[in-house]
Amino acid sequence: MIGYIAHKEMREMRRDGRFQVAAGIVMTLLVVSVAIGWEQYVTVSRQHEQARAETREQWLTQGKKNPHSAAHYGVYAFKPKSPLSLVDRGADPYTGVAVWLEAHKQNEFKYKPARDANTLARFGDLTASSVMQLLIPLLIILMSFSAFAGEKEQGTLRLLLSMGVAREKLAIGKALGIAGGLGTLLVPAAVMGSAALMLGSEEGAFSANLPRLAWMTASYLLYFAAFIGLSLTVSAMARTGRLALVCLLGFWIFNGLAAPRLMSDVSRTIYRTPSSFAFAREMESELKKEQSEEALKRKVMAQYKVEKMEDLPVNFQGIALQASEEHGNEVYDRLYGQLWDTFEAQNRLQQQGAVVAPLLAMRSVSMGLSGTDFAQFRDFSVAAEQYRRQLIEVLNDDITKAGKQEGPHLGDERLWAKAPPFVYEAPGVGRVLSQQCWSLSLLAVWATSGAALAGWAATRRLRAE
Amino acid sequence: MLQAIGLTKTYGTQTALHPLDLEVKPGEIFCLLGANGAGKTTTINLFLNFIEPSGGRALINGRDVAEYPLETKKEIAYIPEQVSLYRNLTGMENLEYFATLANGRELGRAKLMEYLREVDLPAGAEDRKVSGYSKGMRQKIVIAMAMAKQAKALLLDEPTSGLDPKASNEFSRLIGRLAGQGTAVLMATHDLFRAKEDGSRVGIMRQGKLRQVLNTDEFGHADLERIYLEHMHD
Repeated sequence: MIGYIAHKEMREMRRDGRFQVAAGIVMTLLVVSVAIGWEQYVTVSRQHEQARAETREQWLTQGKKNPHSAAHYGVYAFKPKSPLSLVDRGADPYTGVAVWLEAHKQNEFKYKPARDANTLARFGDLTASSVMQLLIPLLIILMSFSAFAGEKEQGTLRLLLSMGVAREKLAIGKALGIAGGLGTLLVPAAVMGSAALMLGSEEGAFSANLPRLAWMTASYLLYFAAFIGLSLTVSAMARTGRLALVCLLGFWIFNGLAAPRLMSDVSRTIYRTPSSFAFAREMESELKKEQSEEALKRKVMAQYKVEKMEDLPVNFQGIALQASEEHGNEVYDRLYGQLWDTFEAQNRLQQQGAVVAPLLAMRSVSMGLSGTDFAQFRDFSVAAEQYRRQLIEVLNDDITKAGKQEGPHLGDERLWAKAPPFVYEAPGVGRVLSQQCWSLSLLAVWATSGAALAGWAATRRLRAE
Repeated sequence: MLQAIGLTKTYGTQTALHPLDLEVKPGEIFCLLGANGAGKTTTINLFLNFIEPSGGRALINGRDVAEYPLETKKEIAYIPEQVSLYRNLTGMENLEYFATLANGRELGRAKLMEYLREVDLPAGAEDRKVSGYSKGMRQKIVIAMAMAKQAKALLLDEPTSGLDPKASNEFSRLIGRLAGQGTAVLMATHDLFRAKEDGSRVGIMRQGKLRQVLNTDEFGHADLERIYLEHMHD
């Protein structure tokens, strides 16, 4: 019976010109966005791979030079592009994807696509995630606002209910019909997206990302289910289709446009971050507070039990450089830690806004599973910084152990090779899920509440009078 | 088959239906006559359990519609004043859909075609979208639904309003045939002529009260009109 109702709903939908046009537009946008995402992913991954190999080659073949000069010569670290970033580019365009690792400095990330964007980018990028988070819910609304309200207006509801059909079966059948209609769009798009992922990914990357893809699919299904449930609820309660449509479009605008901006402003007001100028000034001031060279000399002489600097068995310059590094590291850890903790507090508050707008939960989960959220940017930044510190320590250690020499101390390829290439492994799906636990739970709550409300509205509030 | 026992409906302080006692037996056509707001549609809505009674009981085949809402609906068929079907589906698809919902199983195209032939739907019309159907054709689809459902009772709400005389006559013939097969028919109507022609009994309603019940074979058309107008001008 339920299947029969669903089948009839799908049949009617297929013959409805409005659905055909709306579905055609959404499908085209989805296909184009996946194609654009795929092209970007493949291009950027190739460029990163090439740049990674070149920067390593340059490091190894930089020739003989003082190790500290080599420390300033530095290396680039590239954040690996996750295959699922073709679905959701997340924060990558704003946080950047590459960082220059050199002595003394924890540099900011470079190559932020958002900086290169023109004013049209203010309208947002066309990505598969934006289509699925904004346009598919709009399509669901257009498909379902008249599910019950339209039957009331046309007069078919009285005939339908006089057949002795249980209202809950009717609601489930209609929900499945809408889901089926949606499936005719999404299943081909998902197959196409998976094929693009498989073709574009490096060997093994696709299978490694399958758990993330499965969770992402499940999350989007919960999000869509919430919209189907809500739309059916409103349709069952509204007296006319027009009223149902106005209410649902109002919620769509709140969910997709108002709530994200509102929560962003609220989170920035509650958890204030310093301006980049103020942050840089504080950083500079803190970095200057390192211990004096005289105090360090006294400490080193005491450590090596010598009276004069000339009697030291090691090169003091290496020790001084490492001490300066360690002071800098402490300052970077503290100030960047505070800044990033504030960003995370802002993100957490925005996620809490998902109580009233499911998009906020979906956006967070989507970015998390795509590997493009702030948490994974921070994870990469920390890993890159750890690598920078190890690299500089290897070089400073070499200077220290060189002792006193006639003429300048030079490092060569043997020393450069002591620093292994930077390899970064993104957090596993388990860690992402634990970070996204709140948002995933809220999506599940939205979906079950939507279903329960639709059932309640169909059985208790649907009037055939 | 259809029985109202002290059936009442009030909205706040306003009484839409005063205690109604009524019985429609198998094979009988009972016509409820009355002006707008007389309580005819309220009575039908109560039998359909579309509204809850404020008092009394509506029984279908001995079962209270409020206690057995789904089971009692399986025994009846309903034809509203505005017969609306799914415009994007064909007549056959509409019939298939409603008949399957009513019976809980598919009857098959051949069986449904038999019903469509019985109601004289023009040949070939069954595979056209109902958006192009006249009211008479839509009504034939709904009568075919009642046949497919093998309903023991028919509830008709102003079924002939808006029909041309030929279509109205065809409709009456079909209803008569169903009654002849033992179906109990309760029809709310303004149409005195049809009530006298088709009905076994006529009930005159005014302001929510059933004022008088008449056997149609005991008076002529002119008598019915006179009695009806007397009640309306009380």
